[in-house]
Amino acid sequence: MKLLQNSGVPIYQQIAEQMRTDILAGKLKEGDYLPSIRGLAKDLKISVITTMKAYEQLEAEGLVTAAQGKGFYVNAQDSEMLKEQHMRRVEEALTEAIRAAKIAGMTDLELQETLTALQKLS
Amino acid sequence: MKINSVVEAVNLEKKFRGFELSIPKLQIPKGFATALIGENGAGKTTLLNLLTGIRLDFKGEVSYFDGKEKLSGGGVQERIGYTGPSSFFLPHWNAGQVAEISELLFSNFHRDRFEAICEELSIPVKERKNVKELSDGNKMKLMLATVLARDTELLILDEPASPLDPLMRDKLCDIIREYLEQGNGGRSVFFSTHNIADMENVTDYAIILEHGNIVEEGFVEDLKEKYLLVKGESGDAEAAGKILFTMSKSSYGFEGICLADQLDRLTGMDISVETPTLSQISVAVMKVNTSLKLGR
Repeated sequence: MKLLQNSGVPIYQQIAEQMRTDILAGKLKEGDYLPSIRGLAKDLKISVITTMKAYEQLEAEGLVTAAQGKGFYVNAQDSEMLKEQHMRRVEEALTEAIRAAKIAGMTDLELQETLTALQKLS
Repeated sequence: MKINSVVEAVNLEKKFRGFELSIPKLQIPKGFATALIGENGAGKTTLLNLLTGIRLDFKGEVSYFDGKEKLSGGGVQERIGYTGPSSFFLPHWNAGQVAEISELLFSNFHRDRFEAICEELSIPVKERKNVKELSDGNKMKLMLATVLARDTELLILDEPASPLDPLMRDKLCDIIREYLEQGNGGRSVFFSTHNIADMENVTDYAIILEHGNIVEEGFVEDLKEKYLLVKGESGDAEAAGKILFTMSKSSYGFEGICLADQLDRLTGMDISVETPTLSQISVAVMKVNTSLKLGR
């Protein structure tokens, strides 16, 4: 896991983001335990409360559950919800692209053409 | 999230000439690293001395480990490791004698672990130097080695980072994290510091002390949401000055700390907002309280 100290994105969000990606991509599977809060803090050289906040965020999103005294485990991921999560990220990225296009003065058509061209590339 | 306390105190009071420590309620969370932050003379060492039983002439009640234990009950000392702001070993002892005394004083002192830690922290043990011949940094490392060689549940460290070089400060942070990890929620660390920036990535809970009073405290992640770092253009400086907590101005613009719930009062100004570091929050809180005290 790579954490950037000065990126402007809070560390806890960077951790949550990485874990979220791993869960959505199936790298962390249902029932898997996340690393212990204090173990992860030690490995990443950050404070315990920062790791805790990251895990609490994942819990609030319904991705993991806290088991008393045992840490956090990954929930069964509902495929509908997974799709929704992915779609939300697509929407966020596209909104960002639209904003940038406006600044650059691109027309809607140019933007759409760029999208089509990029789709062909990947 | 239910959080227990490793140390609890109520109505703590200690008066010196020209100084009064007064803390109605103190709770140090269990399972975390808590930093006691304050400028020189704020009362950090006094507070630690009351909590560790170095001073007994004070008013108030202190209890340990979920409020179950008192210092006078005996046995609590075995569970607490303490290092002072300067060496508390006799100057003519060498490291071997320090270990012997520690073995006599505490039933849970592990000689082999002590020797391993001395080696890890590169404390010059083999030279059989007296404590008085050691540098300040090595004296601090020796104190740390004696407390880490014991099975404890709470470390109380008075300015542990001050005499250490940058490499060793980094190592100290690692040591604290490892200590907490091995305790799996059952171990806590309470340390005082004015090197906030060096200790920021190991601080979970912060208590800011000014003129003997706690002026701010909380989990660092919560404090980082409570306060914001605001930067803006010099044209808005005067108006912003009335809203910001603290502010510094230059001909290029202003910068200051603002309470997050006051941010909407800055609407209409051309500003950028960042999450402050613990160090920036602490300095702002200390500045505000100092200026109040000076009657500015």
